[in-house]
Amino acid sequence: MAVNEKGILNRLYFVAGCMFIFGIAVVFKLLSIQFLQGDKYRALASERVVEDVVIPANRGNVYSINGNLLATSIPKYDIRLDALTPSNNRFEKYIKPLCDSLSKYSGKSSSQLEKQIRRARAHKNRYFLLARDIGYSDYIRLRNFPLLELGAFKGGLIVEQTTKREHPMGGIAQRTIGYERVDEDGNITRPGIDGAFGIRYLRGVDGQRKKQQIGKGQWKPLNDANEIEPKDGYDVYTTIDVNIQDIAHHSLLKQLELYKAEHGSVVVMEVKTGEVRAISNLGRTRSGKYYEKLNYAVGESHEPGSTFKVIAFMAALEDKVIDTSTVVDTGNGRKRFYGRDINDSHWGGYGEISAAKALEVSSNIGLATIIDEHYSANPEKFLSKIKQWKLNKPLGVSIIGEGEPDIPEPGKKNWSRNALPSMAYGYNLELTPLQTLAFYNAIANNGELVKPRFLKAVKEFDKEIESFDKKVIVEKICTDETLNKIKEVLKNIVVRGTGKKLYSETFSMAGKTGTARTEYWMKDWKDNPRYVSSFAGYFPVENPKYSCIVVIHKPSTKVGFYGADVSGPVFKRVAQKIFTDTPLVNEIKSLNVKVESVEKEYDKFYEMSEIYKTIMPNLIGMPAMDAVVLLENMLVDVKVELDGTGIVKEQSVNKNVKLKKNQIVVLKAS
Amino acid sequence: MVRETNRNFKFDWITIILFFLLVAFGWLNILSASHTGDLINYLDISHPYGKQTVFIFLTFGLIIVLLAIDAKFYERFSSIIYLVSMVSLVGLFIFGKNVNGATSWYAIGGMTLQPSEFAKTATALAVAKYISDLNTNIKNLKDQIQTFVIISIPALLVLLQNDTGSTIVYGAFFFVLYREGLPKYYLTIAISAILLSILALKFGAIITSVIAAIFIFGYHFFNKKKLRFAQTIFIFIAALCISFGVKYFYQSILKPHQQDRISLWLRLEKDPVKLEKMKKTFAYNLNESEKAIGSGGFSGKGFMEGTRTTGKFVPEQHTDYIFSTVGEEWGFLGCSFVVIVFVLLLLRILHLAELQKSQFSRVYGYGVASIIFIHFLINIGMVMGLIPTIGIPLPLFSYGGSGLWAFTILIFIFIKLDSNRINEW
Repeated sequence: MAVNEKGILNRLYFVAGCMFIFGIAVVFKLLSIQFLQGDKYRALASERVVEDVVIPANRGNVYSINGNLLATSIPKYDIRLDALTPSNNRFEKYIKPLCDSLSKYSGKSSSQLEKQIRRARAHKNRYFLLARDIGYSDYIRLRNFPLLELGAFKGGLIVEQTTKREHPMGGIAQRTIGYERVDEDGNITRPGIDGAFGIRYLRGVDGQRKKQQIGKGQWKPLNDANEIEPKDGYDVYTTIDVNIQDIAHHSLLKQLELYKAEHGSVVVMEVKTGEVRAISNLGRTRSGKYYEKLNYAVGESHEPGSTFKVIAFMAALEDKVIDTSTVVDTGNGRKRFYGRDINDSHWGGYGEISAAKALEVSSNIGLATIIDEHYSANPEKFLSKIKQWKLNKPLGVSIIGEGEPDIPEPGKKNWSRNALPSMAYGYNLELTPLQTLAFYNAIANNGELVKPRFLKAVKEFDKEIESFDKKVIVEKICTDETLNKIKEVLKNIVVRGTGKKLYSETFSMAGKTGTARTEYWMKDWKDNPRYVSSFAGYFPVENPKYSCIVVIHKPSTKVGFYGADVSGPVFKRVAQKIFTDTPLVNEIKSLNVKVESVEKEYDKFYEMSEIYKTIMPNLIGMPAMDAVVLLENMLVDVKVELDGTGIVKEQSVNKNVKLKKNQIVVLKAS
Repeated sequence: MVRETNRNFKFDWITIILFFLLVAFGWLNILSASHTGDLINYLDISHPYGKQTVFIFLTFGLIIVLLAIDAKFYERFSSIIYLVSMVSLVGLFIFGKNVNGATSWYAIGGMTLQPSEFAKTATALAVAKYISDLNTNIKNLKDQIQTFVIISIPALLVLLQNDTGSTIVYGAFFFVLYREGLPKYYLTIAISAILLSILALKFGAIITSVIAAIFIFGYHFFNKKKLRFAQTIFIFIAALCISFGVKYFYQSILKPHQQDRISLWLRLEKDPVKLEKMKKTFAYNLNESEKAIGSGGFSGKGFMEGTRTTGKFVPEQHTDYIFSTVGEEWGFLGCSFVVIVFVLLLLRILHLAELQKSQFSRVYGYGVASIIFIHFLINIGMVMGLIPTIGIPLPLFSYGGSGLWAFTILIFIFIKLDSNRINEW
């Protein structure tokens, strides 16, 4: 022992001292944590021990007028595996059967799945995703798989339920049916009906329940009952008719694809009530596909072009400054107004024509001349008509984001001497398609201007909570005399005017074409002209049931751009299909009109469709649309190619020939 | 056999009582931290508290065996015990089972055994045996190296098994060697190196170097007779190496989770966003543990009444973080009680060690006290944020059979040795 006694003692004290000092340090730290900062820690400790847990209310459904589901909430499940929970024995015993079952379910290879799950276990993944967003029946299937059937504590099964909003009709009218979506920043976007009536009717009231946290991620209810019981949302019945919506959607889609247009919309409205039966808005994506992007029909104000001529013309008629027979000089197709040329699309002009004819052929000069001549001294008189017809105000529809009309007025920025003649043919002012439609609807509805509506009723189960009736905006927009005159012109437009390509002997419709330039203020317009093609009108002429507007923006000018070419066919297809495809045919009979030709066509169609199931019928002389429908509904799947519209003139397969599967039948129509 | 019975009464009952106080209080806290709210069945081995009950019962048997064995056995067979223990550590590389990232367990049937716990006792015996050899003088470099090798082998083996905490425990033997006459400058070097490293991490290498220079040259000029100038320069260069090297060591050798723990401890992270993130990840345990202890107050919330404890907020609460249960449910009084019992136990063992006639018993006693102390220091320090997080259990207190038995063996071998001190060898 080389160390002396004193040295040893010092070293002993040093070691013992270290231990003692550390003991003191611990006590001081304890004092600090428990007393100096005690309040802070006590507050932290009680925080989040009891929490109000929201019990979400079930969102109501959205139905069509025929009772079809348009939007509904359904539970979806995410299935995950806590790969650490199963004991080694269980894991090894069940991993293979589990992966075999999963493989059958998902189509992935069993060995691949096993590898993934083993890796998840090795990496201590307690949240391994097995399936996402699956339906209830799949969820039941998965939870009975080996291992998973042992439940959360033995098998490591984690089930998370979420509610997803589904549109059973798919992309049809999606924008109008709408949704409510909350983004990461908490901003809510709610387009369409689902959005408009979300807060008031669909959403319901969330319940609340106090829960106590008994562990990390584990909560137990504090009381027996919920503090606030959740109240489910009401169901909303829309005015949308799925059959008409389907027709409108597909007619528009077909035309947009044909004309490679940027976007377009169709609205079909019931004349008497203003209930919107169909509203379709399709926009092109970068890939060239179309889907419901924005509610153009409601939200987009634009220069309407020639469809507005009807309104200007009616103002002049109603003020009795002209009559349909008043002669107007349209000259050689070019006329100067206050230093600016106005052109007609007809090269060389129409010369001296009647006012009615000017509207039929959609002469810009004609309308500009009429309005300028009679109103330039007193523009307010013309504008007062517009105001009387409430065209200067939004319709106030329920869907959020309605476009504002823009009507120039003297003394305001957008007013110039040219404003009045420009307005006469639909420029220098902006309206939404729905506004234009509402006005045309008023013509069809004997002068009663009703508000377009999307909502029929709100129900809780079968109990009606609220129902919605017709809302009249203007009782009578003009005299019957004016109405009859304008109706006659609108009918003639289709018979012999700009819309004569749409004319069909068998089916009557009335309306006005519109071809407006758009973005003409841009420099590149001359190289790349852009148009808005539209068609607004109603059908049948004799006792109008529906009004309809078709607006197509920026069709490819290489294919065509005139309203009659681009939008007209959509209108015609919608009109014809509504009366041939849907059960509403019965309702035509109840109207006090006899559209004998239609009835006859239909009878013939019906008769033939009953007889011909596998054998080629004689389709010549039949309306092309009917012929296509007939062929497509046969028991043999044939491919129909239609060339042209109207009446079938030729058919590539002779009558009474037995059709083969996937055979191509070409129909030529005029 | 008569002699045996007589001898039993010479056991140091103070140590034994302190031992059982800790085990019993530990068990109460394990019960509180691990019961699930069901009816408590004390022998239900599907719960930690039930298992611990069984472990404690088995401990009685173990104690009887330990005290029955002749005291000379421990000294005579210390080398063999050490060898067997080292073999068991090496065997882990082949048969070991990985738990929480460390391959330090044998799985035998449904039981797991952690040989590194027992290796501490074996090393204490081996060190005692080596130092107490008549030919050994700890002041000789050769003997220092040999002792160092004996301690390093188990330390390295557990380090390779990713059990950093247990490696640090072997630092405890420094106290033992110091008491036995290890030259003072080792202590100076060790403390200086630790201080320099902490300073360099906290304030940067340059400031640390300047501080080191002031101290080293100051020492040189005021104590001229002791060191030659070349020696001073050498010391200064070493200090520079540490100051600048520690950054490299911290960034390149330490694993990310170790860096995070040190960064948290020294509050190196200033970005509040990252700090918040730290609180939710690796600092979560500490944060929860501080909340639990802090919310306890003076007398605590009462046994089984702690909301943080029964709510299972603190991860690993029944093992490494058992002290937070004491803090929450028994408050300042309970914590102080635990600290006092520990300090008393340590001082008692040191006191007994100093009374030993045999150097073997004394060195072993110091080993026992040092090992318990370093566990106590690291565990309590970690739970309260005094030192960086290093996962080792609180002796006799934390849940775990291996730990409890290893400390029982460690302490009761000493009690047996102590009981024999007046007997002839």
